[in-house]
Amino acid sequence: MTALLEVRGISVSFDGFRAINNLSFEIGECELRAIIGPNGAGKTTFMDIVTGKTRPNEGQVLWGEGSKSLLKMNESQIARAGIGRKFQRPTVFEDQTVSENLTMALSAARGPFSVLRWRPSADSVARVAELAEEVGLADQLARKAGELSHGQKQWLEIGMLLAQDPRLLLVDEPAAGMTLAEREQTTTLLRRLSERHAVVVVEHDMDFVRRLDCKVTVLHEGSVLAEGSLDHVTANPEVIEVYLGRG
Amino acid sequence: MRKPLVLRHPSILVFLGVLAVFTVAVTVLSAGYGTGAISTSMVKTLGKTLCLALAAVAMDLVWGYAGILSLGQMAFFALGGYMIGMWLMVARTEGIVTGTLANLPIPPTDAEISAAVATQIFGVVGSDKFPLIWAFSGSLWGQLALVVLVPGLLALVFGWLAFRSRVNGVYLSILTQAMTLALALYLFQNDSGLRGNNGLSGLQNIPGLDAVGQEKLSVWFLWASALALGLGYLLIAWVASGKFGSVTRAIRDDEARVRFLGYSVESYKLVVFVLAAVVTAIAGALYYPQAGIINPAELAPIASIYLAVWVAIGGRGRLYGAAIGAVFVSLLSSWFTGGRAPDLNLGFYIVKWVDWWQVMLGLSFVLVTLFAPKGLSGLVDLFEGLRPPRRRGAALGPDMGALREKEAVE
Repeated sequence: MTALLEVRGISVSFDGFRAINNLSFEIGECELRAIIGPNGAGKTTFMDIVTGKTRPNEGQVLWGEGSKSLLKMNESQIARAGIGRKFQRPTVFEDQTVSENLTMALSAARGPFSVLRWRPSADSVARVAELAEEVGLADQLARKAGELSHGQKQWLEIGMLLAQDPRLLLVDEPAAGMTLAEREQTTTLLRRLSERHAVVVVEHDMDFVRRLDCKVTVLHEGSVLAEGSLDHVTANPEVIEVYLGRG
Repeated sequence: MRKPLVLRHPSILVFLGVLAVFTVAVTVLSAGYGTGAISTSMVKTLGKTLCLALAAVAMDLVWGYAGILSLGQMAFFALGGYMIGMWLMVARTEGIVTGTLANLPIPPTDAEISAAVATQIFGVVGSDKFPLIWAFSGSLWGQLALVVLVPGLLALVFGWLAFRSRVNGVYLSILTQAMTLALALYLFQNDSGLRGNNGLSGLQNIPGLDAVGQEKLSVWFLWASALALGLGYLLIAWVASGKFGSVTRAIRDDEARVRFLGYSVESYKLVVFVLAAVVTAIAGALYYPQAGIINPAELAPIASIYLAVWVAIGGRGRLYGAAIGAVFVSLLSSWFTGGRAPDLNLGFYIVKWVDWWQVMLGLSFVLVTLFAPKGLSGLVDLFEGLRPPRRRGAALGPDMGALREKEAVE
């Protein structure tokens, strides 16, 4: 399996604090991966680097078949290259309707002048409806996103990611603040997503990760501590020491 | 398959209708074409007000929709005025000079006429030559193109530098203030080439139309201003609707998120900023021939702040709100500062409105910001019954119990 995203030996420090320390990571096409680790392990910083928000001090981030370096691209170029990101707290545009939110995310030309000329077509309307169906918001299309419940906002954001049709999805703590029923629905959604997209899920909650049933990477102090199935990594004494031992 | 723009947004139709009725009414009551109930100077004031409303609508696109609080919009307005003013001055002076020189025994050459025009125009700043920037001043079409090009280019360069460096919020506002102040200070110099603090004057006399008279000219300009406002409103409403408007409002609310959707935020801001600058410049080019004079004081930072105040009082984020704010506040302001408002005798103190108007305006700005963030256009919601129930946080009752107060509006 060739890697879709390859991160090689990246390090980044903020004011002397090494948030990421010689981290290497690889993910293949259509793979589901969970990243776990205690607070401050560098999970969010890792996502910031891949999506172009933070520049690493050293190392390489390579993308796709041509192993293109992502470090020279800005956030919007990386997003257009096919990496979507879901934030920890749901960030949808609350002042706009669900359908406007989805339409904005729909993969189409992104330049200001082509957007100015853009008109909704039968296709785009159908695609928006289909996406809303997929994330369980079919009957909420005309509502303002700000009126949705917390869980619905999370799903809308996942729907927006799907609309972008990225090859890699980075999902930051999707289950935070959700009810049990909502968590189960989210698990199903993520598993279904991984059939067509590579998905990286950053999560705190062990039960949630167990339900995802996928390969797990444990981060600690900015580098990879262990990698493998959940049972494999939880049996690792080092992991127990830094992570599970505290819980 | 889609309804046309004006049907999707009925407020556009209402706005254009009101504008048309207003224009016809003023025409019927004007001295030039009707009963004369409205004086020529009042017609000019109303025409100028329409231009200010257009500038306010453009400001609303920049501030209310894209979230860029630009406090330098009047720089573009004044530049538009200067560009058209150059042609007006040259063409008119040329007419006068040619008339005088025609009496000489030997007919004057073109060079002599040009030199005489230059002496006439630049005598006040101690020069008798056309500066380089007046190269196109002899051509109406040339200067009309510059009305759009000069402010557009300034906005493009300024916006590109500012947005590319991700200057945001209050820092951007300060930067735009600095831009208009710097430009004003530059134009105050005699050797800036635009007659220093004298500015350009006599702009109300349109070359070749001396026979028409100001009574009719003022109405013509009112028509032109109304047309520009109508078209500008339509253009901006079109831009602000649909997906482009959606992305613009998204940038206002969460710029970083829009980047992760793959949109280049900087290019969107630049398009909006340049478009608004061009529309503002056109408004300025129609305003100053009605005002008759333009000088660098028009670019003072306070002028642009007023524009922001009008938009805030009218209600930002809605185009008609911006227009209402500009019309309402600027007309009220000219009434209060015109010395016609009767003094208010409080017994122990006589309130002279000329002095106290500024205080009133400042106070109402603070009050609107605090208590009526939707501004005057919030009154429209009141009419449509779109008022959130006021239960001070209490539950809304059995059928709407799950909704928060704000949600229950829709």
